[in-house]
Amino acid sequence: MLLLQLLLQGLQTGALYALTAAGFALIFGATRIFHFAHGSAFTLAGYTFLLASGAGLPWWAGAAGGIAVATLFGIGMERLVYRPIQRHEGSFFTVFVAAFGVAVVVQNLVGMLAGRGFASVDTPLSRASEVLPEVFLAPVFWIALGVAAMLFAALSAFLGRHPAGVALRALAQNPDLIRTYGLSSSRLSVLAFALGSALAAPAAILAAMTSGLNEAIGHHAMLISIAATIVGGVGSLRGAALAGLMLGVAESMALAVVDTQWAEGVSFLVLFAFILFRPSGFFGVVQTR
Amino acid sequence: MSEVLLRCENLARSFGGLQAVAGVSLSLPAGQVTALVGPNGAGKTTTFNLITGNLRADSGAAFIRGRPIMGLRPWQVARLGVARSFQDLRLFTHMTVRENVLAATETSAWFWQPGGAAARRRREERAAAALEATGLAPLAEARAVDLAYAERKFLSMARILAAEAEIWLLDEPASGLDLASRLRFGELLRAATARGVAICLIEHNLDVVVELSDRIAFLDQGKVLAEGAPQAILRDPALAAIYFGDRPQEAA
Amino acid sequence: MIAYAANLATIVAIFGILAATLNFLIGFAGIFSVAHAVFFGLGAYAGAQVALLLVPDALLACLVAAAVAGGLSLALALPALRVRGEYFVAASLGLQMMAATLFAEAKPVTGGIGGLVGIPRPTLLGVEVDVLPAALSALALILVLTARLQRGAFGRSLRAIRDAESAAEALGKNVAAAKTLAVAFACAGAGLAGALFALHLSFVNVESFTMDQSVLVMAMVIIGGTGTLWGPLIGAVILLSLPSGLAFLPFIPATEVGAVQQIIYGLAMTLLMIFRPAGLVGDLAKGRSTA
Repeated sequence: MLLLQLLLQGLQTGALYALTAAGFALIFGATRIFHFAHGSAFTLAGYTFLLASGAGLPWWAGAAGGIAVATLFGIGMERLVYRPIQRHEGSFFTVFVAAFGVAVVVQNLVGMLAGRGFASVDTPLSRASEVLPEVFLAPVFWIALGVAAMLFAALSAFLGRHPAGVALRALAQNPDLIRTYGLSSSRLSVLAFALGSALAAPAAILAAMTSGLNEAIGHHAMLISIAATIVGGVGSLRGAALAGLMLGVAESMALAVVDTQWAEGVSFLVLFAFILFRPSGFFGVVQTR
Repeated sequence: MSEVLLRCENLARSFGGLQAVAGVSLSLPAGQVTALVGPNGAGKTTTFNLITGNLRADSGAAFIRGRPIMGLRPWQVARLGVARSFQDLRLFTHMTVRENVLAATETSAWFWQPGGAAARRRREERAAAALEATGLAPLAEARAVDLAYAERKFLSMARILAAEAEIWLLDEPASGLDLASRLRFGELLRAATARGVAICLIEHNLDVVVELSDRIAFLDQGKVLAEGAPQAILRDPALAAIYFGDRPQEAA
Repeated sequence: MIAYAANLATIVAIFGILAATLNFLIGFAGIFSVAHAVFFGLGAYAGAQVALLLVPDALLACLVAAAVAGGLSLALALPALRVRGEYFVAASLGLQMMAATLFAEAKPVTGGIGGLVGIPRPTLLGVEVDVLPAALSALALILVLTARLQRGAFGRSLRAIRDAESAAEALGKNVAAAKTLAVAFACAGAGLAGALFALHLSFVNVESFTMDQSVLVMAMVIIGGTGTLWGPLIGAVILLSLPSGLAFLPFIPATEVGAVQQIIYGLAMTLLMIFRPAGLVGDLAKGRSTA
């Protein structure tokens, strides 16, 4: 039953990847900014939870802290980094380098302050029990899937009905609106960053409880986010989420044949396969340039 | 000289549920200017994109001198002799005027261009001639981003001239030009057609259309509704109504 | 003292090559790679193997290294560049993240985690030479080639592609081919630097080809400024002098020096992009980078 175990494990990881990727896709879709520091929101949220739990605070305090830190990080990036850049130049180059610089700083700060190597939070929720012969599931599994489902439902409702959400979707589907209105209007932009970064937080917190975190996890989250956004089709939030789920499952199933250190390689291979055979992704729109 | 240089048959393309181009057929003979007119959203620019390969057609075919070109990449279509301008110009903004035009003569992607020094001189001559013809020679060292509106339009034309293409697809090349510039533009077109270039023009300004085109194709909702001499087409009241927005109910 | 200066000069020359080629790629051609260290590594391993298995001829090692790194870069570039620029970024990120594992697992070629040791001293036509003159010549060669490419038709094509890719394509330029060639050139240069590095240290291992190294080279390019030929070199000098400067600060524990360096690089990159995108040397000739 190893395959079933790996599949379930993959669904759990995939749910977390779906959330993180959707966050990136939301930001990129609405603002057209290649937020290469999205992985840092993930890292900061996860480590906030880790440190809070280590300090003896109850889980909900750590979780709230993590979400707050991620959201503030996203808003901070938008106001302090991207907006000044876009005011005077805003080329892909400047945005990319600035974001990458931040990602490097965060990774190393976290490494310095919280130590290197894997760290995780052990909770009763992470303890697995045998639910089927040779299939072990921890309560975290249900929580991960449940949280992801709830958040996606809420996100859909928001993007479909709430005026701000509808505006974000309009921007994503018609990037020319961004150009016409001089990049997304300031408040929508902040909203996109806040929301997108906040989505990464629950994923990071759950990851802290399961597979654990290390300071380089930001790069991994980044690769997953970009790969899922591309595979899912640029411009499709649903596509990014589904692709994130798929990447999680693929990564887990691959463990049946390769060692854990090649997990990264799976995402890379899937990304590469899509680049080769279906560059527009699952749901992407082929764009004329 | 009326060999048909470019011909497309029943080009079709839809986006989601919207049929942007629904069976467009055009012939572009050498030495003639064909104008594509029609209301906004009629599918004119999309037709250009289908011909140049920027968009993949759902169905239909296109031929340059009888040679099928469907499925070719835009740079391959360009190398077969098609030059195309864009509504939003797409100049090489950070390069100088001279560099913009010179770049149009350098099609090889390799580290160096074929032909050595002699070919290089020839390319520089072509670039210089294009600058002369468009009146941009005095501005050769100015950066494209610093040019005035009309000068930018002419730079777009200079690139096309330098490319020495025999088929021109121009997307609203004269929009926003003052009268003097329009006259100069007209001369450029006439000089080109005298050399045998086939030109297809998307244009909203009907004065320009009447002045410069030999034939008109009227597009609406992705179909060619009428084709013929400019005066005849433009006098048709039904077409005028469509053009200006009063769409007739389902035709008899 | 002389030995110290010669050593520093060699390292500066090697990193100067890395920075100059990365500048060509991201600053000039607009192709964003975070995996430059990977090609540095490929060249280093290739050059090391030539020295160990055949003859430690500096020229041969460099040529093989350049060919290997440049050739392998095609595998990355050809598919990714057919599509959009963001794909190449993603692919290079994935590649760099996997590199440590790849290099560690390919034991027969790379010596695994331990790396390759005992690389013989380089020779040229049978005569033993120092790496310094070879490195300086290579740096000069790369700078000359880069300058010629940038000023000629190939450079114009790349700039045209940067400014208006669809218009460049509409004028007959094979955009994917041009970008792929740019990548091949830059990565071949990185491989060349790698061979020199291996011959200089007489030892290579995976630690030198991680993401940290890619960050360092990128910081050199950004700090030095992307618009000029000398910028990357100046960036290399500045950043290679930094560790010695840091060593004098008492409050940084030795184990954290690496992290502090990376933080400085990251901060410098971000702050420069916000306040002075032209870098320290700046874009003297064309004012390309400011509004």
